[in-house]
Amino acid sequence: MLLDPGILFATLLGGLSRAMILFLLASGLSLTFGVMNILNFAHATLWLLGGYITFSIFTFIADGMGLGDTALVLVAAIILGTAIMAVVGYGIERVLIRRMYDRELPEQLLLTFALILIIGDLIRMVWGVEDRSVYLAIEPLEILDTFVNPYYFVIIATGCAVAAGLWWFLQKTRYGKIVRAAVHSREMVGALGIRIPLIYSGVFALGIAIAAFSAGVFLPLMPMALGVDIDLIVQCFAVVVIGGFGSILGTFVASVLVGVVYAISILVWPDGALAVIFLIVIAVLILRPWGLFGTELRF
Amino acid sequence: MSGKRPHISDSKWDSVLKSMDRRNFILSTVAAGALTMTPRFIRADAHTPYKLGLLLPVTGTGANYADGGIKAVMNAAADINANGGLLGKHPIEVSYRDTHTKPDVAAREVRDVISREGVQTVVGTYSSACAMAIQEIIHERKILHLAATSNSSKIVNENYTPYTYQFCPNSKMQSGSVVVAVVEMIKKNGWKTYVTIGQDYEWGRDTQKGFVNALAAKSPDTELKNDLWFKLGETEFSSYITAIMAAKPDFAYGAIAGKDNRTFILQAQAMGLFKRVAYPGGLISVTEMQQQKKSLPRGMIGLARCPFFAHLDQPLMQKYIKMHRAKHGEDAYPTDWACMHYDAIYGLEQAVNRVGSIETEAVKGALKGATLETCRGQATFRECNNQLNIPAGYVGKVVDSPDYPFPIYDLETMIIVKAEDVWTPTCDDVRKLQKVRA
Amino acid sequence: MASDGRDGHRGSGWLRRLIGRRDISGPVFLALGIGALFVPLLPGEFWTDVGTEILILGLFAMSFNMIYGFMGQISFGHAAFFGLGAYGTAIMFREFTGGTVEITTAQFFLALLAGPPVAAAGALAVGYFCVRLTGIYFAILTLAFGELAFYVVFSWYGFTGGDDGIQRLLPPPFFRESIVYYYFTLTIVTAAACLMGRIVRSPFGYVLRSMRENKLRTQFLGINVRRYMLVNFTIAGAFAGVAGALWGPFTRSVSPLLLGWQESGIAIFMTLIGGAGYFAGPAVGSIVYTFLQAYVTGFTVYWPLTIGVIILLIVMFAPGGLLGAIDDRLLARLRGGGGGANGETGSSTRGGGES
Repeated sequence: MLLDPGILFATLLGGLSRAMILFLLASGLSLTFGVMNILNFAHATLWLLGGYITFSIFTFIADGMGLGDTALVLVAAIILGTAIMAVVGYGIERVLIRRMYDRELPEQLLLTFALILIIGDLIRMVWGVEDRSVYLAIEPLEILDTFVNPYYFVIIATGCAVAAGLWWFLQKTRYGKIVRAAVHSREMVGALGIRIPLIYSGVFALGIAIAAFSAGVFLPLMPMALGVDIDLIVQCFAVVVIGGFGSILGTFVASVLVGVVYAISILVWPDGALAVIFLIVIAVLILRPWGLFGTELRF
Repeated sequence: MSGKRPHISDSKWDSVLKSMDRRNFILSTVAAGALTMTPRFIRADAHTPYKLGLLLPVTGTGANYADGGIKAVMNAAADINANGGLLGKHPIEVSYRDTHTKPDVAAREVRDVISREGVQTVVGTYSSACAMAIQEIIHERKILHLAATSNSSKIVNENYTPYTYQFCPNSKMQSGSVVVAVVEMIKKNGWKTYVTIGQDYEWGRDTQKGFVNALAAKSPDTELKNDLWFKLGETEFSSYITAIMAAKPDFAYGAIAGKDNRTFILQAQAMGLFKRVAYPGGLISVTEMQQQKKSLPRGMIGLARCPFFAHLDQPLMQKYIKMHRAKHGEDAYPTDWACMHYDAIYGLEQAVNRVGSIETEAVKGALKGATLETCRGQATFRECNNQLNIPAGYVGKVVDSPDYPFPIYDLETMIIVKAEDVWTPTCDDVRKLQKVRA
Repeated sequence: MASDGRDGHRGSGWLRRLIGRRDISGPVFLALGIGALFVPLLPGEFWTDVGTEILILGLFAMSFNMIYGFMGQISFGHAAFFGLGAYGTAIMFREFTGGTVEITTAQFFLALLAGPPVAAAGALAVGYFCVRLTGIYFAILTLAFGELAFYVVFSWYGFTGGDDGIQRLLPPPFFRESIVYYYFTLTIVTAAACLMGRIVRSPFGYVLRSMRENKLRTQFLGINVRRYMLVNFTIAGAFAGVAGALWGPFTRSVSPLLLGWQESGIAIFMTLIGGAGYFAGPAVGSIVYTFLQAYVTGFTVYWPLTIGVIILLIVMFAPGGLLGAIDDRLLARLRGGGGGANGETGSSTRGGGES
């Protein structure tokens, strides 16, 4: 059954779509850890918050302003949602994360762990327990004797665009180069007279913004609901560990690996799909703990 | 820490109830400061209140179903208390606990409401695993248990306790009723093969097994090609949908409930699954009809447990509809889960009235084999396992309706399956399944 | 800088306080122990049940602290061993009774004894891989293994009952009474805590502490760090298994969620609230956490928000936990307000012993 080209294609498409969401989430996580040495457990919860906010904006424009459930409205909602979450991310960094830079690792982890509970309940308070999604009337596309959801192409394109944008940002812009330098040695960057705190805030906010952006993009495909963040954060960790902290390329490759392996596992051994991912994580942590593309130095 | 909890005065409760149509119900009650209720009339000779425990989740995959149940229980209790409570003198006090859809939390919370609050009856839960966990404890402590959403057949069969009364058609009944409809469709369309997909947990497995067995009995030539299972909370169904289409079956059966149902239908629709493969009999309750009113594929054949529009001629159904809309808004027609929970509370009231006492053993005796008025008509509890013989399932085609802001089943073609046609055939068979408790 | 690069000078100092500090754990335990004897005198069964819960989860948290407070590593998968202990006992129960007959007292004890070895075996297997790493990698690996264990138990429907869990864990008639089970639990937990205390105060325990402070230096002393970590990890898992074994018959059922990371979180929260730097910390934390939860869930559903905010505040402002804060005050009093008030130790008195 796996050899049927239509099935393989559809599976790969689904796997790549999953890979994109993992990448979009994990890139922020990886960057934050690479630059600031903080592992933000609450990253996926902030993603979820972004999704809910984008949903509300969408509903307000579509129903409240009567413009209907269209793709354009979704784009507007995504832009606004991302902007709002960037500000939220900046705020969290300034108020909470900043205090934790010189703390022990367990305390950093516990702080962000507490954030998961707090933000999760805040979402529940405001939006209730119903799950939220957006319905764009999409017609399935017929390819290779099978039907696929054309929105998957949108997702893959978006993911690649963000990846390319991040790469360009880090390699070609001045700010990006400073960020990369900070990954290697923040003391030196500070010694060069560059204001480290601003860089930290910026990187954190960027990570959150990317996450919120991805949540909005996924709304038509995946309902936002309480508890989705917890599933995702565990898979995100898997991706960051496999790819290597601080490496965007590593995160991208690992996301694709995890996404595709998971999708294929579903066809071959559905019960064990998640177990397979964990086994890969365990193998990586034992054989090459700094990940495929991470630097041994950072380990 | 004193056992007393702040009670809300009735004027405050009124404003709380009125505001519920615009705000999250739980938020309102929290804002009001408590989740217990006071009697409407506080008489000089205050009688003992009747304490009720409500165990439903506000978190987890079933929260959107449980929401209706919580509202229903609160509304029904308030209504009964408007006349002084049970027997006119025992105001109902509801203690709510969130089970988080976790069995050990449910076990702890039920112990809490029994020993701390002193409840005599527990209503709940959503998940069958939670229900079975609390059955241990309510049996041991001799507390009545009214089930109105959790519906694994194990609750009334394998895990039976004489203290549990089931107001919801159990999973075997539900699968059986789908089979009745599907067998007709098989004959009409000449279907030969099928595939199943289900949530990989107790209810999903139980439901799927019930369907497969019942179908094999009635239509042995129809071949099951593959069974797919996904974990609860799955967000990405493309691989499964692809696998279904790959098997090229004539139809597919889904044992999916809660949030996953919505995700699956959304993604399957966008992938054109329903154009290629028939998908009859998945759970489409009033909740799905309301929440997915924009996107639910019209023409899809689904199964409901207690849809209000199937019993508009019943006075109790009219009463529930009126109560629900008055408190929660014009569009807030009670969902299946709300209706069944209303039935549980009013059923309790009927038993209490019949025996003239609120004492647990007496009420339990009154419920045994009793015939009650429900929103689905008159129904009787089965002697051997306390399963109410309300309709086992409602199978219908999703269509738009001029009367409601959401789609319902086409009333012309809807099939209502009787309990006796599809539940465990005889009481002897039931007793073989039941593991008698020590 | 490596994420494990602690040289003892970074951080809020609560770990440093363990060296040469007057030990308040002793008096705390004495007070708790005496108080515990009188819990069933409170009216109703409810408080007795709460007490049993505090005892069992307190033991669980203390076993976690063997890895966290004493060895300096944070494990997010510790509940896997709690759950394995619970399931070990539950499966024996099921084998003995088939869900229909009553379990005899002898069988009951056998079932309880089955839990800890299962947990220890699991801890040995998991620890074998985890002790190769430290810091963030250790944390993530323990999380991954914990989730794997949960997943296996959840999926293995035929053997573990899957997400149904295992029901009908009714103790023999004598132990069914809340009071009896409470004192029974108290006995076992006290014995376990004493044993744990001996281990922690032994030369083995001191090696653990030096590993926490400076792993490299300890290795230079010729000590096989990995082996010590593995032994400690296994022992901690065994103690978690003891707690788990007691839990099943108490709640009358077990479910796979006992192995999940949210259950691990409970041990972490309790330890943090009480103070990880003290042997009695997790016990104190268990009392506070359980009471708080029982109290708060009585009038609101937003318990996660409540505990989240509390943890946040503790981490930010009082990382030494309750005992840490009390200890600071005591020290400030003893020294007349000098030196130690902000948690940094001045001189050290080794004679006072550690917690």
